[in-house]
Amino acid sequence: MTHSNPTSVTTQIRQRLEHAFAPHVLDVVDDSESHRGHAGFREGGESHFNVRIRAGIFEGQSRIARHRAVHDALGADLISQIHALSLDIGT
Amino acid sequence: MTDAKTQIDETVKSNDVVLYMKGTKEMPQCGFSSRVAGVLNYMGVQFSDINVLSDENIRQGIKDYSDWPTIPQLYVKGEFIGGCDIVTEMTISGELDTLFDDKGVAYNKEAADKIREANS
Repeated sequence: MTHSNPTSVTTQIRQRLEHAFAPHVLDVVDDSESHRGHAGFREGGESHFNVRIRAGIFEGQSRIARHRAVHDALGADLISQIHALSLDIGT
Repeated sequence: MTDAKTQIDETVKSNDVVLYMKGTKEMPQCGFSSRVAGVLNYMGVQFSDINVLSDENIRQGIKDYSDWPTIPQLYVKGEFIGGCDIVTEMTISGELDTLFDDKGVAYNKEAADKIREANS
């Protein structure tokens, strides 16, 4: 699976976060390879993600509220496909 | 509440600091769980560790209890604080110290400062 695949997990994460928050910074990094041999790793990657997002909509929200908003935007179906998700959320 | 939720509710309300994690504080089985347990250990915080890998009902139940999809999860005096990202951010910013001060949880301030020095 490559990142150009329109249904890839990476692409879906990007699309859902862009749609929900109109971020001015959005980095979605598939960090799976660095977890090779560890729990949750699978061939083809797309199991471990680091997401860095900056959007004005998070202004005034607590850390937990920001994370919950991102969880909701990604949806349970997508989150269930991800073994590990590291979020760096700010304005 | 389901049995799992009742059990979780009793656990987080009868222990000052509880970490739901994969593995134990002596032998974490996930990098994120390891990081949070490591911070608490280093800061000298007394905490109860609950290994979700040993009980599938708790593993799912804790996600339902907090409406939070990931593990680890840290609770202080019955309040859900966050997962690895949030605890790490709060450690670096000093908010975790403030939280422990406010909640009356004992910890080693010098150790916390050392973590911040190492990450500055």
